[in-house]
Amino acid sequence: MKYVDEYRSAELARGLASEIAGLVQPGETWRVMEVCGGHTHAIYRHGLEDLLPSEVELVHGPGCPVCVIPMGRVDDAISLAEEPGITLATFGDMMRVPGGRGSLLEAKARGADVRMVYSPLDALALAAKLPDRRVIFFAIGFETTAPATAVTLLRARAQATPNFAVFCNHVTIEPPLRAILETPGLRVDAFIGPGHVSTVIGTDAYRFIPKEYGRPVAVSAFEPVDLLQSIALLLRQRAEGRCEVENQYTRVVRREGNARALAAIDETMELRDEFEWRGLGTIPRSAMRLRAAFAEWDAEQLYTIPGVRIEDPKACRCGEVLTGQIKPWECGVFGTACTPERPLGTCMVSSEGACAAFYAYGRLRRPTEEPVGA
Amino acid sequence: MTDLAPERCITCSDEAVEAEVVAVDGLEAIVLVDGMHERIAVDLVPEAAPGDVLLCHAGIALERVDTQPGRPAEAGHRASAS
Repeated sequence: MKYVDEYRSAELARGLASEIAGLVQPGETWRVMEVCGGHTHAIYRHGLEDLLPSEVELVHGPGCPVCVIPMGRVDDAISLAEEPGITLATFGDMMRVPGGRGSLLEAKARGADVRMVYSPLDALALAAKLPDRRVIFFAIGFETTAPATAVTLLRARAQATPNFAVFCNHVTIEPPLRAILETPGLRVDAFIGPGHVSTVIGTDAYRFIPKEYGRPVAVSAFEPVDLLQSIALLLRQRAEGRCEVENQYTRVVRREGNARALAAIDETMELRDEFEWRGLGTIPRSAMRLRAAFAEWDAEQLYTIPGVRIEDPKACRCGEVLTGQIKPWECGVFGTACTPERPLGTCMVSSEGACAAFYAYGRLRRPTEEPVGA
Repeated sequence: MTDLAPERCITCSDEAVEAEVVAVDGLEAIVLVDGMHERIAVDLVPEAAPGDVLLCHAGIALERVDTQPGRPAEAGHRASAS
């Protein structure tokens, strides 16, 4: 791929791995949480754990946008899809996430009009093609995806599209990070900050982590050399007695983020009082809803949302995976009752989910004395 | 739906890919992704011009990419602190 080849250089990766090995203290365990699901996917895909010394342990964080959506919100979306005259559009993975009454894909099989789109703008275009129906975009994602929804809403208003709406489930990255940082007995020493979220919100947004919680952050891109370099940056900080936010992804990410994207989000959305996260419980002011000025495109204003709350299946340990307390293979149903073909938990649905990433790339390399699903 | 090793995020089939601008028409741009032309919105990067590389996600451009950041080995020394 153009522009990224040098970031997949085996020579550079080996050099960085060697530097990392020289920066750890023998016998210690230094735990680094990669917040973003894209990083989790890249770590498994490129086998980065095999390049790191045993002293560095990678812990997977809550940054998969699909994984953090609770089952009840899926049921809410199914309820909307089953309303007469509604076409529900969403990203492919959200169609597969199981709720209490199955998935959106299963609702589609029962007759609901559910469509997969790549962009909320596609949903807006669909509304123009289906003037007799209302197209509702089931919006999920962190600050990476919220700008696309915001731009779509601004265009819907500019075009005066009457039959389009958004069921807004956008979430923000700071509150779950604080929730993790305030977990009693937290065992995370440093953070690899999300790259694409940071493109929007900027690196300054993470300054509270070193300042209030004493952990360093390196905002990272997604290629193997990028991730190794970020780990080396974090270890260098420790070696030099520093604790701050560093930006490895300088080719895209700015300190202040993208002001236009932030303005578009701010014009269309505001923080909710609270939002339920899968695995993290209810977190105050951690998700977005549409502003009153966009009420005519707000599915929550136009329809009665059941507001279903469903306990996760008892066997499912997504919550502990999302907060880095256990590894995917430590969940009893991993690879048996829960597989990418028939996911029980959200972490197995999206390719950014830690369980799906480990299932795809890592499970066959684990020693036989620790069998998958044991 | 059983692709276990997708090159891109299957959430949005678009894991914030870096794409080169071929043409710009108002707030729409044609970009080249893996040899294919795709149309994306540039509302958030209106200064985009042909030849620019954009970070694209879910049908919109999020930012322009600096394609001359130096060799990766040097980038660590260029890392900026907040």
